[in-house]
Amino acid sequence: MKEKKELMKEGKRLDGRGMGDLRHIAITANPIKNAAGSAYIEWGGNKILAAVYGPREALPKHISDPQRAIIKCRYMMAPFSSLEEHGRVGMNRRAVEISKVTKETFESVVMLEMFPGSEISIMIEVLQGDGGTRAAGITCAAVAMALSGIPMTDLPYAVSAGKIGSDVVLDLNKIEDNYSDADMPIAVNPRNREVTLLQMDGEMTREEIRKAMDMVIEAGKTISRIQREAILAPYQKASEAYG
Amino acid sequence: MKRLVIPGEILAAKPLRLDDTIVENGKTCSTAIGLFDEERGTMIPLEGQWYPRFGEMVVGIVEEAKLNVYIVNLNAPYKGLIISKYAEGDIRSGDVIEASVKELDKTGTAVLTRPRVLHGGKILRIKPSKVPRVMGKGNTMVRQIQAGTKTSITLGMNGLIWLKGGDIDLAIAAINRVQNEAHVPGLTERIAKMLGVKPESINGAPEEGRHHVHQGEAQHVEEEGIQEPME
Amino acid sequence: MHIVTITDEYIKERIRGGMRNDKRGLMSYRDITIGVGTMPNAEGSAEVNMGNTKVLAGIKIDLSEPMRDTPGEGNLVTSAELLPMASDKFDAGPPSPESIEVARVIDRGIRASGMIDTGSLFIEEGKVWTVYIDIYVLNYDGNLFDAGTLASVSALRSARMPKYENGAVVREGNLQRMKTANMCTSCTFGKIGSEILLDTDGSEESFTNARLTIANDSEYVRAMQKGIGGSFTLAEIDKLMEATFEKSKDLRSLVTKASGGD
Repeated sequence: MKEKKELMKEGKRLDGRGMGDLRHIAITANPIKNAAGSAYIEWGGNKILAAVYGPREALPKHISDPQRAIIKCRYMMAPFSSLEEHGRVGMNRRAVEISKVTKETFESVVMLEMFPGSEISIMIEVLQGDGGTRAAGITCAAVAMALSGIPMTDLPYAVSAGKIGSDVVLDLNKIEDNYSDADMPIAVNPRNREVTLLQMDGEMTREEIRKAMDMVIEAGKTISRIQREAILAPYQKASEAYG
Repeated sequence: MKRLVIPGEILAAKPLRLDDTIVENGKTCSTAIGLFDEERGTMIPLEGQWYPRFGEMVVGIVEEAKLNVYIVNLNAPYKGLIISKYAEGDIRSGDVIEASVKELDKTGTAVLTRPRVLHGGKILRIKPSKVPRVMGKGNTMVRQIQAGTKTSITLGMNGLIWLKGGDIDLAIAAINRVQNEAHVPGLTERIAKMLGVKPESINGAPEEGRHHVHQGEAQHVEEEGIQEPME
Repeated sequence: MHIVTITDEYIKERIRGGMRNDKRGLMSYRDITIGVGTMPNAEGSAEVNMGNTKVLAGIKIDLSEPMRDTPGEGNLVTSAELLPMASDKFDAGPPSPESIEVARVIDRGIRASGMIDTGSLFIEEGKVWTVYIDIYVLNYDGNLFDAGTLASVSALRSARMPKYENGAVVREGNLQRMKTANMCTSCTFGKIGSEILLDTDGSEESFTNARLTIANDSEYVRAMQKGIGGSFTLAEIDKLMEATFEKSKDLRSLVTKASGGD
C-alpha cells in the first residue's frame, strides 16, 4: 500500500490546477544541430530532449527488414534528473520498457515501408524529470520526427491521466504520481483518435477510465496546437522576416 | 492561398493525387511539413527524404574500392555502387565523386554511372528537400551564387554539395540562407542582393518548388522512372 | 542540419594560409556561452555551447561511505556520456574509451587544482558526501575536453550543498553554495600536418594527428593529456603552455561571469 498524502486542497490540486488541467508546455524546434530533426520540451518541471537520426543503413545488417525501415528507440533518464539521489547510470528495466512502447507508438505513424532495409533512431533524454516523462518524451519526439522530414501519417501526442482519491485527474506531476491511486499514460494519433500507447496501473472503474479518456482527448487539442506551433515556428519566423 | 501544413493534417475532403500525402477515407492528408496551395492543388514539401531517381546527379564519397565495384556513401540510407569497368581513370577510397543514378536495385543500392572525381574543395551537406531550391528553376539560383562568389558548385540531389574556389564562405552562407528561407517568396532577389549580382531569371517565370527540378534527361524519364514506393 | 565536411586537401591549404574553416585564427576559440542552473533538480548544472558543441554538466551530491584509503574525505566521481543523439558517430551502449578519457582528463584537472576540498565533504565517521559530475554531450562538434571542463567547473561553482540533519539528507530549502576554491580550465590543441590549432571543431578533429590538453589554474599546470597517434616537440609543448596560460584568463572570466563569485 502506498503512503497517503494530501494532494488536494479546496477542490484544487497542490499546484493550483483543476482536475483536467495540463501543466505549462513549451517546445523548441531543432536544438540538436547534428540530428535530422530534434526538439526540446519543457512540460511542467520536465525538461526533455528528443532527436531523430536516419533513415540510415540498419546495423547490424541482420536486424534490418528488407520490406521496411526499423525503428530503434532509446529513452533514458539523466543521473542528475531527479531531486533525489544520483541515478543509476545506464538502462534499467523501466527505461527498456519505455523505449519499447515508445518505439511501438511511432511504428503506427511513421511510413516505414518507404525506407526498406534502413533504420530510424529516436533518442529521448530526460534531463530533468517531474512525472509523465514518457508522455512528454513521445510528444517531443513526434515534433523531432516531423522536423526530420521522415513521412508520417499523423502527429501523435501523449499525456498521462490518473486518479487521486476519488478524483480523475490529468497530467500527474511527480508528487501526484508517487501518491496517486492510478496512473495511465496514453498516446493518441489525433486525426482518428487512435490510441497507440496505453499503460495503466492502480485502480480505476470503467467509468473513471472513460472520464480520463475524455480528459486526454480534450487536452490533446492543446498539446497538438503546441506541437504544430513548434514545428512551424522556424518557417513562420523566416516568412515574417521577408513576408 | 498557400498555407503551411504539418504531418497528419487534412488538406482536402476529397482524394487528391499528390506527393507527400495519403488518402484515407476519401480525405487527403499531408505526410510532411509543407506548403499546400488550395487553389492550385499543389503541395511543396519543406522537409523530406531523398529517393534516388534515374538520371539524377549525386555527389558522394567513395567508401570502399573493391575489386569490381566502388561503394559510395551518399549521405542516405542507400549506398551508391559504381561498377569499376564503367569508371574511367583512377578512383580511390576517400575520393569525392559526382555521378548519375542509373537504377535503384532491389537491395536498396543506387547503381551509379559516369563518375567524375572532384579534387580538393569542400563538401556541404544540406537537407535533400532543399536542393531543388538551391538549384532554382532552370538552375537560376545556383548560377547566380556561382556568379556572385566565383565558386564552382556541383549539386548532388542527395543533399551533398561540392564547392571549390572563389569565396566559399559566402557561397555556403548563401546556400544556407536558401535552405532556411526556401518557402518565402522573393528568394532569388534576396540572394542576388546579398551577393551583389543581378537576379537570374528564365523568361520571368515565377520560382517554384520541386516539380521543376528534374533537369535535362531526368525530366523525360520521370514518368517511367523509379517512383516513390507509396504504400 | 548545415554540416560542413571539409576535404583533407582543402583544410590543409587553408590552415597554411593561417585561417580556419570558419575564418578563426589558429589560436582562437569559437564563441562560448555558459548557462548556469538550467536543471534545478540537480544540485548544480551548467550548459556550455562552444560553437556547435553543446555540453550539459549536472552535479548530484549524495550521502555515502568514504573510500577505505581516505576515511576522512568525501569522493568525487566524474562521468561523461557521449550521447548517441549528439552525433551519428556515437553509439548507444557501455561507455566508450573516448568517453572515459574525456571524463578522466576533466576529473584530473578539477581534482589536482584543489577546486573541491574533499576533506570538507566529511560528515562523521563512516559518512561523507560524494559529488557526482555527469557530463552530457548533447551535440558533438569537437573539443569535448574544454567544453566539458567549463561546464563541470561552472556547475560545481553554482552547486548547492545538501544538509545532513537528523539522519536525513535535506536537498531543498535554504542551502549554502558548495565550497569551491581555485578554478581550473583547460585548453586543447590539435595538430594538423605541422600546424597547431586551438579548439578544433568536429571536422578539424577528423584530420587531427595529435592532440594536447593542458588544464591549469592561474599559476600551475594541473593536468595534461596527449591523445591520438602523432606527436609534439618539446618546444611546441612549451609554446602551448604559454598559450594556455594566456587563453585561460578569458575562460576563467567567462566562468566567473556565468557562475558568480571570484
